[in-house]
Amino acid sequence: MRVKVWGARGSVPSPGPETVRYGGNTSCVEITLSDGTALALDAGTGIRSMGLTLGENDSRINILLTHLHMDHIQGLMFFAPAFNPTSEIVIWGPEAPDASLRDRIARYISAPLSPVEVRELPCHVSFNEAPHTEWQIGSATIRAASVAHRGPTLGYRVTEGDVSLCYIPDHEPALGADLERDDPEWISGYELAQGATVLMHDGQYTSAEYPSRIGWGHSELFDALAFARRVDTERLVVFHHDPLHSDDFLDALQGSAMDRWAELGGEPTQLEFAAERRELVVDRERS
Amino acid sequence: MAEEQRPVELILARSLIANITTPGFLVDEEGIVVFFNDAASVLLGVRFEEVGRMGPERWATEFGPFDEAGERVPPEKVALTIALREGRPTTAHYRIQSMKGVRHEIEAAAVPILTVQGTRGAMVFFWLEEEP
Repeated sequence: MRVKVWGARGSVPSPGPETVRYGGNTSCVEITLSDGTALALDAGTGIRSMGLTLGENDSRINILLTHLHMDHIQGLMFFAPAFNPTSEIVIWGPEAPDASLRDRIARYISAPLSPVEVRELPCHVSFNEAPHTEWQIGSATIRAASVAHRGPTLGYRVTEGDVSLCYIPDHEPALGADLERDDPEWISGYELAQGATVLMHDGQYTSAEYPSRIGWGHSELFDALAFARRVDTERLVVFHHDPLHSDDFLDALQGSAMDRWAELGGEPTQLEFAAERRELVVDRERS
Repeated sequence: MAEEQRPVELILARSLIANITTPGFLVDEEGIVVFFNDAASVLLGVRFEEVGRMGPERWATEFGPFDEAGERVPPEKVALTIALREGRPTTAHYRIQSMKGVRHEIEAAAVPILTVQGTRGAMVFFWLEEEP
């Protein structure tokens, strides 16, 4: 599978000269499967740029939403295929007790926040609560699991052949837990991420920032590293960068992450920070 | 060998119970005690790590609960059972027995963990009626 990052920023778009390298768009990752099927992981503002690159052959697109915070859905209203009558968009997301996925998304795509309503979108759009069992999209098997964040939130694992990408952009598995010592059954996201070829995971806060943000649903960077080592992923892509973290700051943070990663027994080639427009090929030879 | 991954609601409940000083227990949807905290271990005279998971029968044999006459409370009247079966918080007054045979008079509150996928389990908290 081919993977392209269209937005790696967390919380709120943060454009500007200080964020041009890692990017200011919020969460969106495009996956192209070997059979050509296109998936979008989340629909933050990054999905706007992704939509502009899709061709006529991409008339059916699956969007897997981890949750409905604004930084993960804001781009939906600016996704070009949504305004193409020949497009078919299938949106997957977490189940919630209060309303259907469609109705919850319609809270955003409706007045006064939006000039159009869901029913007015020219595309063919459908909404599916993610099942609790694996399902198939194109040549990939998809698995979703609830993870520790504020409100109903999923992580996804996309498996094609013998490779897999696990995407958990908003996740605080260390909340009240010991990632190095607790049994795996008590670590949020463990089973979903275990042995993934690539893990894209929340690493929003520094060690200095985290103590004043405990319970906000995001990981301290070093906790993300510990989680990745615990689940034995082959490669970690740190995701959901804090909007206050400039390119230079993230460069420095990546340096300290590399040191910590080495202390945990990781190889330098297994770790990187997500950057907008970064492309990965996830397979056994080239990932 | 690791057990199957727990639902995130149970993971978060366990984190809460592990970090408070009220004696607290976590029970899965089958009624099996899958965790109790250090405060509870003081009452029971044993740590969770020493006894591990306990099904309802073993729990009743080891710890009770007992009514005022010293008889075992029937399972259907235990607060935990009601919380799990009926999906509603329940309180009760009874006695439990530690591993060392010491009896404590307690108030128990059982709170079911209800999710979009149904009842995932329950949290049970104890308050001592009198100091042992």
